[in-house]
Amino acid sequence: MGLVQGARKRSPWILHFDTGSCNGCDLEVWALLTPRYDVERFGAVNKANPKHADILLITGPVTRKCEDRLRNLYEQTSGPKLVVACGDCASTGAPFHNCYNVCGGVDKVIPVDVYVPGCAARPEALIDGLVLALSLWEKRMEEEG
Amino acid sequence: MDPMALILQIAVIILAPLAVGLLRGVDRKLTARMQNRRGPPIVQPFYDMVKLLSKSPILINNLQVTFAGAALLFQAAALALFVAGGDLLIAFFVSGAGSIFLVLGAFSVRSPYSYLGGQRELLAILAYEPVLFLAVLSLGMRSSFLVSELRGGLLEDLPLVLLAMVPVMVILLEKSPYDVPAAHQELISGPYIEYSGPYLAIMEGARWFQLAFVLGVITLFVWNDNTIVSLLGKAAIVLLVLFVTIVIDNITARLTRERMVMFMLTVGIALVAVNLIYLTIFPEGLI
Ligand code: SF4
Repeated sequence: MGLVQGARKRSPWILHFDTGSCNGCDLEVWALLTPRYDVERFGAVNKANPKHADILLITGPVTRKCEDRLRNLYEQTSGPKLVVACGDCASTGAPFHNCYNVCGGVDKVIPVDVYVPGCAARPEALIDGLVLALSLWEKRMEEEG
Repeated sequence: MDPMALILQIAVIILAPLAVGLLRGVDRKLTARMQNRRGPPIVQPFYDMVKLLSKSPILINNLQVTFAGAALLFQAAALALFVAGGDLLIAFFVSGAGSIFLVLGAFSVRSPYSYLGGQRELLAILAYEPVLFLAVLSLGMRSSFLVSELRGGLLEDLPLVLLAMVPVMVILLEKSPYDVPAAHQELISGPYIEYSGPYLAIMEGARWFQLAFVLGVITLFVWNDNTIVSLLGKAAIVLLVLFVTIVIDNITARLTRERMVMFMLTVGIALVAVNLIYLTIFPEGLI
């Protein structure tokens, strides 16, 4: 069991999905892959494919057009999976709150495990969020036994 | 056969793919260092593998997992034939059948990306298989088709064939400029796209076996009567070929699939042909 948990914590494959962000947060997510922040040292790889992903990094308020797509991606990801809402928009809908074309934060559509605040969320904060998500993993596994 | 040799062979069949896993970790680390990044630990592929195996399985249809299993079995059989000192040509064809199962697996689902990946994988097979085939043929013609009877002097006689193996490795390791089937930015992961969790682990396992076989073919170029020198030489040549492919990966951008096929069917085959022609004219070799 310890082996599986250890491997899971060291190999979080990422799916990044933009549900309607202004691209500010997306740039910061992409910055994670650059030599400066290099999340691959934690074993994280941007797989861009829900079937391979473990952690969903979602940016932006969920527009009505994206609602079904987000749900679809979430359902295609095989468990156990975690969702990180990146930025204020993804966390709450922020400036787009109550817009006619926006559902609100990501948690209106799929369950969210970690909220990373910031507009845009700094790469350092995103790494913190990722690490927090990985520790949740342990807790979730313990809960499930 | 005496039991010691048998145990040794089984150990090699199990350890060779694990060594390939480690090499893939080294590959990721080196690539990261070349890009001025820290990179993942070199045992990362094993973490990935264990994690994939522990994920909950989502299967699209039974055919998909059948083909994945067949790919793994054929690649493992090819490696086993090779390690047991069997016929190199048969091992090559068995491994080739394994790659076809990868394509069939990609075609067994109704995803357009998977289809595109499958078609491109077919093109990749069309590109590297002839060169690999000719390399195997020239090894066999120069020495013996039975792995157990192959002896030294091949590197001196067939240097251009070894050179032709470099682009073959580039394609097999999915490195630019010829990472056409799994082209990350356009096809995500090509033929692997619809596999998830443990099924992806099966496909990755098949790939480790395949790479172990092809790297095994590369080790045949080096031989010394002293076992330890021989083993060191074999390890060195594998690491050298791998290092060259990583450098090529980091200094090139992806080319189109047509250029991949054209390059391999002209330059790749020409390298082997030139080598064989001058061997025919100067049977003693040039070096
Ligand atoms: S949180 Fe800010 S930067 Fe991020 S998507 Fe919203 S508005 Fe853009």
